[in-house]
Amino acid sequence: MRRGFMKKLSPILLLWCGTAMFAQTPSGAASAATTNEVNVTQIMGFEGTAKNTKGKLSIQDTALQFQKSGDTAVQVSLASIQDVVLGEENRQVGGLPMTLSKAATPYGGGRVVSLFSHKKYDTLTLQYLDSNGALHGAIFELVKGEAEGFRSQLIAKGARVVQAENKAAKQNAPEISSESK
Amino acid sequence: MKANSKYSALAAIIVMVILALPYRLAADAKSAANKSSTAQWSVEVDKINPGDVDLESAFQVAIYENLLDEVGKTKRFKQVFRSGDRNAKDVPDLLLLKTTVQKYTAGSETKRAVTTVSGATKLNVLSQLCARDGKVVLELTVEGDVHFFGSNLRATHNLARNVAKKIKESTLPDPSPAASESTAAASGAASNPAAKRPSLR
Repeated sequence: MRRGFMKKLSPILLLWCGTAMFAQTPSGAASAATTNEVNVTQIMGFEGTAKNTKGKLSIQDTALQFQKSGDTAVQVSLASIQDVVLGEENRQVGGLPMTLSKAATPYGGGRVVSLFSHKKYDTLTLQYLDSNGALHGAIFELVKGEAEGFRSQLIAKGARVVQAENKAAKQNAPEISSESK
Repeated sequence: MKANSKYSALAAIIVMVILALPYRLAADAKSAANKSSTAQWSVEVDKINPGDVDLESAFQVAIYENLLDEVGKTKRFKQVFRSGDRNAKDVPDLLLLKTTVQKYTAGSETKRAVTTVSGATKLNVLSQLCARDGKVVLELTVEGDVHFFGSNLRATHNLARNVAKKIKESTLPDPSPAASESTAAASGAASNPAAKRPSLR
């Protein structure tokens, strides 16, 4: 009696679990797509903030805002952004303590640790003009996979992209010349 | 007794002279600095030209920002302007720092950590200090590498530091005659509409 009941129940349970699993993914993606705030490390260049500052980068109406936790926010107008470029970097984790401990590990063990103690991250490079027309460049480090979504949001809100246009022009140039021949 | 007092007076004078000497030297240095600041160039750091090298945008921006920092630290220039700054237009003794990337070897921090001997990030640039009339005042070929510790972007910091160091060590011509020459050239060019404004870039 019990076995029969379990046999009937198990497909329903499987179906329910599967539905729940599939339901998780799209909702997560949707939340990632709608959010316009990302945790970043400002590597250098954003006016009014020190190098290697951790904080939140967000889009506020017509401005890009960087806010260090418990500190005043710094904003740059989206219209002043001249270029937004994505990049990818790979770096060793753990900083100086990790480097020292790896160096102290005998029989070259530190090198083996180095093989596994690296992390990939995205970089978001901005070029913008201030009120005097002076060029600024800022580099942000983001968790891998977050930069592309943020960049497209920036472009959608009015930030310019020059490099992609140039690359496209370069890619098209040989085709045009070969056609003309 | 009298001899003792003489010696002590002499010793006191010597001590006073020794104590006063550094202040005197500092005052001399200050006056020298003031003299040099009366005839100092200002500089505008131009956008990095990647040349034929496929250099990532992050590297170009990092070189530019580090150059602004490091050139400012040298105190060789009266003012350091960013590229396109409207305030730089009215500055009489202005040099333009142009940087063109000649070579770039992409490195890897993990390779460096694992092998020690490979994975170095290397940059080689041509830096030119140009006057308003386009005349090259100083030309330098500078390298910036990261061989062991640090991220790849550290090469840009090392490069900018080397550029600033070389500029600091080199002798620049007196700004006043060059400026007067350039203004004379500008006034002479007023009749020629094509060369009406001396180009900065």
